[in-house]
Amino acid sequence: MNELLTQSLTYIRSFGIIGNIFLILLQIVVVFVAALLHVAYATYWERKVIAHMQLRLGPREVGPYGLFQPFADGIKLFFKEDIIPATADKPIFYLAPVIFFVSALTSLAVLPFFDGFVVADINVGLLFLLAMSSLGAYGIVMSGWSSGSKYSFLGGLRSASQVISYEIAMGLSLVGVMIMSGSLNLSEIVRGQHAITTGVYAIPQVLGFFVFVVAMFAETNRLPFDLPEAESELVAGYFTEYSGFRFAMFFLGEYTGMLIMSSVGTICFLGGWTLPQFVTNALPFLLFVPGIVWFLMKVYCFMFFYYWVRATLPRYRYDQLMAIGWKVLIPIALVNIVFTGTMKIMGWF
Amino acid sequence: MKSPLIKTVFFTEILKGLSLTFRTLFRPAVTRRYPKVKPVVAAGFRGLHALSKDDEGKLKCVGCGLCGAYCPSQCIHIYTNEGDDNKKIVERYEIDILRCIFCGFCVEACPFGAISLSEHYEYSNYSRAEFYMTKEKLLENWDRYFAGEKGKRYYREFWRPLSADMHGHEGQAMFSKIPDAIRSGGKK
Repeated sequence: MNELLTQSLTYIRSFGIIGNIFLILLQIVVVFVAALLHVAYATYWERKVIAHMQLRLGPREVGPYGLFQPFADGIKLFFKEDIIPATADKPIFYLAPVIFFVSALTSLAVLPFFDGFVVADINVGLLFLLAMSSLGAYGIVMSGWSSGSKYSFLGGLRSASQVISYEIAMGLSLVGVMIMSGSLNLSEIVRGQHAITTGVYAIPQVLGFFVFVVAMFAETNRLPFDLPEAESELVAGYFTEYSGFRFAMFFLGEYTGMLIMSSVGTICFLGGWTLPQFVTNALPFLLFVPGIVWFLMKVYCFMFFYYWVRATLPRYRYDQLMAIGWKVLIPIALVNIVFTGTMKIMGWF
Repeated sequence: MKSPLIKTVFFTEILKGLSLTFRTLFRPAVTRRYPKVKPVVAAGFRGLHALSKDDEGKLKCVGCGLCGAYCPSQCIHIYTNEGDDNKKIVERYEIDILRCIFCGFCVEACPFGAISLSEHYEYSNYSRAEFYMTKEKLLENWDRYFAGEKGKRYYREFWRPLSADMHGHEGQAMFSKIPDAIRSGGKK
């Protein structure tokens, strides 16, 4: 299966630039549709997991086992009235959800889903991802600023400071990965992991992995760090005033963001589409399973962890959030960088 | 795992919480899927009202008005008149269900067991008029929910009036018109 796909890709590429453009468009469509379907069912899966963790049943009514619930929700959102507050700064109000959603979707371009399948195989992939997640913060800040509502404003401010603080920790936690693989290209990072004994960077980079996972929750505004949209205090935070399709854009953007963070975690720490070599040496038949399966399984583990933590932990206080970010995560990440750098210079990695 | 530092570093408490939620994931849910799976209603549940009929299929109510006098939300309206043979007849017996609080005092107040509460509780509707129960509708409810042996059994077990057990001595002034069958609660 892997060979077949690689061969057909090479065949289409042989048509020169037209073949390449066709291939890229095809890839974009596939990635876009697959990602949006994943987002739709991520909401369904989240509701199911959290419901069962709280001894409830979750959606059951639309379709068998409520499987069509995401589509029912989507259709409902499309037909909702689009309300714009009178005090809103309209151009920015219109622009904010688009920026948020587009920046989330753009990140999909650089993710290698399996060997050779990446829309844009650029050499600064990891930096690009960090840049896009920062750009998403602009959407949040702008929506909070332009809504003309106190709740939105507070949510936007909180989100800005939270995302900026945790972006530092996240970037620093990934520096260890960059040092070990010697590349910012995500495919190269996966290949670098495949080459080492453990097969995943999560084991030599355990500190970095820990910092990344915590920062991942904060970056995507998920519990226990969902202060920008704290329901009990801020109604819905920065998107309080949004309704209908504009709300759906924030919603989709948030879940796409979760998928992307899960994918980044999978690619940088859990070996992407590969299995560790000692596993495939012991069980060679696993090599016949396409890489996308391993990739998705790892991503789903991250997604499940998101839901699991959401069902377990209460929200942190705002000063606790900042204290964890600046006083714990950033020092740990710096120690990790020093440690990894020393090991690299000594030649042990 | 006793030292607070170790607890903080390894998040023992968070991990405990996570394991609890994970175990809960596999326990059966407590949700009752109500419209699809109806709950079992206990006998004697206080639901929609019905006016009892006696063995001959006639209205048990004599129009004394005790239920209306007792009703805390004053939602029972009774209008009586003089019939052809100078007997008191109940012309209208109406209950405004939307005001009723289902306390069951009317059932307790009635000396004849003429008003009863059925186990039927799903009677939502689109107009307020549907909830204004007339004598005819209340009698229909009896046929629907208490027809036959069930009505008699419920009379015995749930709304048997205290007066049914009263037996005065010879010559004492009593509700002289009460037939023995009603007074003994159909027990014989």
